Amino acid sequence: MNKKLMMLAVTLLAIASPMFAQANGGAAAADPSNYRLAAAYIAMGIASGLCGLGQGRATASAAEAMARNPGAIAAIRVALILGLVLIESLALYTLVITFIAR
Amino acid sequence: MHELWITKIFNNTLAGPANALLNAIHFPAADPASPWSDWMVCEILVFLFVIVLFAILRARLSVDRPGKLQHTMEVLYDFVHASSEEIVGHEGPRYLFYFGTIFIFILFLNLIGLIPGFDSPTMYPMVPLAFAVCTFFFYHFTGVRANGAGYIKQFLGPFLIMAPLMLPIEIISHFARPLSLTVRLWANMFAGEQVYLTFISLTKVVIPVIFIGLHTFVAFLQAYIFMLLAMVYVGGAVSHEH
Repeated sequence: MNKKLMMLAVTLLAIASPMFAQANGGAAAADPSNYRLAAAYIAMGIASGLCGLGQGRATASAAEAMARNPGAIAAIRVALILGLVLIESLALYTLVITFIAR
Repeated sequence: MHELWITKIFNNTLAGPANALLNAIHFPAADPASPWSDWMVCEILVFLFVIVLFAILRARLSVDRPGKLQHTMEVLYDFVHASSEEIVGHEGPRYLFYFGTIFIFILFLNLIGLIPGFDSPTMYPMVPLAFAVCTFFFYHFTGVRANGAGYIKQFLGPFLIMAPLMLPIEIISHFARPLSLTVRLWANMFAGEQVYLTFISLTKVVIPVIFIGLHTFVAFLQAYIFMLLAMVYVGGAVSHEH
């Protein structure tokens, strides 16, 4: 199932790239800065999506750990927030790259 | 660009001294008619507010009959103290002055944006950048003070033979820290405001209130995260190498 979804996503991406070029017309598509911008925005989308997945996994296991051992909630919370922040910083680096590409 | 009413007052009355100061440091304002920007004025206001708040608190401290303000601030102090002890270690409370300052100042800077007629200075990238650069220098300073010349060992990795590989990686990762601190605080505050603006233009009433609530929560959380990361960095810098 996952593999099929992955294939679908890759195919969609492959189909979408020439469409992007067509929609902009010949002169605009030839400008390389447009591709740079599109790449940066797609990268931002991928980064925030994967960041969401990672944060979701971290939060899920933290919630599970808190339910199993309510005595350790304070320690788990600090570790959870630190982990979330460090995961988030990867998406933030991508955000910086979108600003650079602009 | 539209400026706040309070910025207008500052520009009308205090433009001369500001221009003199900016010219003295060879960084003249882009527009000499309005050298004050919204974030500067709001930051000065928050600064004065925090000073006055703590002056009042200091004058009214009482062991027998602590007031509401004192109770609140004691809770805050205990919270910062416990966090610093937990993360930095037993010498954490030595650096409490920095953590407490940065937490309270960023918290009020985030919260002033919720009052109509004011802007959050942390919505502008320069303000978080200043905090991040301060934190950067502060944790390196504490590291050098705690470990002396041995502080360089933290950048060389576990084995000396790996040092040529580890040194550039460590330097890049240390310079990425102020970047991520800046962008995290700025992006969260900016995005919160933008979401709120989008919904106010879509629905006008009731729904935007939810996002103000969310923004308030984010304001607290980001101030806490900034303090937490400063603690983690200081804790890493002062730890004695094994």
